[in-house]
Amino acid sequence: MVAARRPAQQPSPQAADERLLVEAAQADLSKFDVLYEIHFDRVYFFIVSRVHDRTAAEDLTSEVFHKALAHLPNYEWRGSPFSAWLFRIASNAIVDHFKRSHREQQADDLEHSLAQPDLSSTDLDFIERRVHFFRLVEQLPEIQRRVVCERFLEDRSIREIAQRLNKTEGAIKQLQFRALHTLRAQIGDRDA
Amino acid sequence: MPKRSPAEQLDQAISALLSTSQPLPEANSHPSIAALVSLVPSLRSMPRPEFKAALKSELQRRISMKEATVPSPAPAKAVQFRRANFPNIAPYFLVEGAPRFIDFLVAAFEGTERIRVPRPDGSIMHAEVAIGNSVIELGDANEQYPQRQMTTHLYVPDADATFARALQAGAASIYAPTDDHPSGDRWGAATDPFGNTWYIATAKGWVPGPEGVLTVQPYLHVRNAHDMIPFIEAALDAKATGVHKSPDGIVRHATIEIAGATFEIDEASGESQPNPSYLHVYVPDTDAIYAQALAAGAKGVHPPYTAPYGDRAASIIDPFGNTWFLATYLGTTQP
Repeated sequence: MVAARRPAQQPSPQAADERLLVEAAQADLSKFDVLYEIHFDRVYFFIVSRVHDRTAAEDLTSEVFHKALAHLPNYEWRGSPFSAWLFRIASNAIVDHFKRSHREQQADDLEHSLAQPDLSSTDLDFIERRVHFFRLVEQLPEIQRRVVCERFLEDRSIREIAQRLNKTEGAIKQLQFRALHTLRAQIGDRDA
Repeated sequence: MPKRSPAEQLDQAISALLSTSQPLPEANSHPSIAALVSLVPSLRSMPRPEFKAALKSELQRRISMKEATVPSPAPAKAVQFRRANFPNIAPYFLVEGAPRFIDFLVAAFEGTERIRVPRPDGSIMHAEVAIGNSVIELGDANEQYPQRQMTTHLYVPDADATFARALQAGAASIYAPTDDHPSGDRWGAATDPFGNTWYIATAKGWVPGPEGVLTVQPYLHVRNAHDMIPFIEAALDAKATGVHKSPDGIVRHATIEIAGATFEIDEASGESQPNPSYLHVYVPDTDAIYAQALAAGAKGVHPPYTAPYGDRAASIIDPFGNTWFLATYLGTTQP
């Protein structure tokens, strides 16, 4: 769970695999796709946990991956997870974001909190739970997943979704109910 | 009043939450409904699938562009078949009013005229203008080689300054340089007085390799671009070094390398309609490539011959309408 705190002296098979993936991408940038797919969710949720605005979170996530791609040839494996490097880039991007927003005090506070060598286990737990939840959403039946995305990410009303999917409003409400019921059953009583 | 279904109750609670950002009072909501409503903040914090896909697409495009601008080192033999001052696949502009076109290239892109071969009537048979580390060739259009409106990608140190100079020199803006271009670079576009399109870009957020970036690259908008890749690989010993396709197989961007130099293609769409071009490329063996190209489906225009300026030259038209001037430098010393 607390991957960033795992001792670096004895790299796990998982870490060895990750190292191979990073080195493959350094040798052939077209393989950066693999790293993107593995780490996108974590980076996004790391950012959104600090920047409570979807547009800003998307902009910063984009910035992080563009920077990671640009600097990948200079990345040196030192035993820490690749995600730790991405989180560091994200931390700097978030601080810059708040400085640009003239929220100096918040930026100073944030900079101080992000200066810690490791993320707290609470932070990592939050991110992992969100990643897990997101993947459960992705595994919903396609029609339910689409209703969830339209309703909660695109901010569409039940009526709009019904028109777009050529279904009745009652059917959309049923799909919404089933989707949330399935998700709740899968995560149990825990917070998402 | 009929009892509402759980789905109705849930939606009412969700609607209240979404419209007021306040949870429905516990008293009004069954615990099982409340448990479902408590998922809403997590659902709203999820990344949009469209964003995740679009960012991946942007990154793939950027990787493709990087591969375009940092070609793999040419084999040692390349030194022997390519003129030293000819690093790129040159767009060959045939225009009505070549002297004015040279003036435009000099004024807009800080070009340096290095060769001008005039005809007796004052028109230009052949000219070369160096721009950055690359070269553009041109001449006056004629009946055999009429004017074509081509697209060229320029990498410059300051896209905004170059764009402003281009407008000053008579170009018309398509769009001013922006940081929002899908490539991730600072990127603008303009049309010159001859109808050619120029993509004016500055690398942003990435560091070119030690070879630097090629200033000039032809950019072809092609109908059925996915068919051009296997053709060009078979015909000209090319290699697609970066191919970015949409999920339905449309080529959004690809970089094609021929003997260490590159050009770019994408699927023609919208404003970017097919633009058959003239291109000049140095290859290790013109005779062999000419024969290979014809076997792959190209049409011969001029079979191989030894030109007075020291190149083994030939020309073909590919199935997409582009004219290729093939050349192999025969000299033993570099000019």
